[in-house]
Amino acid sequence: MQTPDEIIHQPVRLKIMAALNTLEPGRWLEFVVLRSIVDTTDGNLGAHLSTLEGASYVKIAKDFAGKKPRTRIKLSPQGREAFDQYVATLHAILAPQDLDPSN
Amino acid sequence: MSPTAEEAARALREIATIRARAAGFQDYRAESSQLILWGFAYALGFALTASFPAFILPIWLLVVAGALTAGTITACRINPEIPGIAWRYLTLVGAIVAFCIILNIIMWPLSAEQSSMIGPLFVAALYVIRGVQLRPRYLALGALLALVSVAGFFVFHSIFWWWMAAGFGATLILSGLWLRQQ
Repeated sequence: MQTPDEIIHQPVRLKIMAALNTLEPGRWLEFVVLRSIVDTTDGNLGAHLSTLEGASYVKIAKDFAGKKPRTRIKLSPQGREAFDQYVATLHAILAPQDLDPSN
Repeated sequence: MSPTAEEAARALREIATIRARAAGFQDYRAESSQLILWGFAYALGFALTASFPAFILPIWLLVVAGALTAGTITACRINPEIPGIAWRYLTLVGAIVAFCIILNIIMWPLSAEQSSMIGPLFVAALYVIRGVQLRPRYLALGALLALVSVAGFFVFHSIFWWWMAAGFGATLILSGLWLRQQ
């Protein structure tokens, strides 16, 4: 049986990856928007983003929008590939059940 | 350790939920800029109409042309990945403008107040429909726009233009700001 990516297979990180994966490749999402979508605290989101950045799944950019500091995040190509693989693994886990005639 | 089928199904449901929520957030954010822009346009148009009623046609031609230009630029800036976004936007707003013009011609003669109710009520109906089909905040917005417009026509007729400038324009602007609060 396949094992899902342990880095992604954590509730908050799964939400982060799923949210970022809805964007077109190369598009950034602002930290505050991502926080609202994931529905978590700044600290928690920051910690999980660090884990994902350490695995090279996301890229984080810090700059200024006018005079306001801004943090933006996007999926890296490796992150997008890992997420696709993760979803495929989940489907593979479910597939044998779908084929079971007793269900 | 591999997750059970139940855990895998839960994870897939979570992904679907987040996808829907993310789409909603992006939709609301894109819409908010348009609402604020058209809110200022309506407020300006109605205020100028109240001040210079003899020039109602050139006022609205200029206001709509200006808002359409700014709205197209904004739509292209916010949604650069959507193919043909400028044409889609122009077709959408063009259809609303065409609807208002055609209805004016069909129902002519109309008073200036009756004529100016067509656009706001049509926009309100569009948001109600969109709210029922897609996202609940649009339903509230559409209902409020309709309420403000009808109240202006039937209750505040003596100050109709100023009521619409402040009420209809402000409702659009505040709704745009509300959609950004998520």
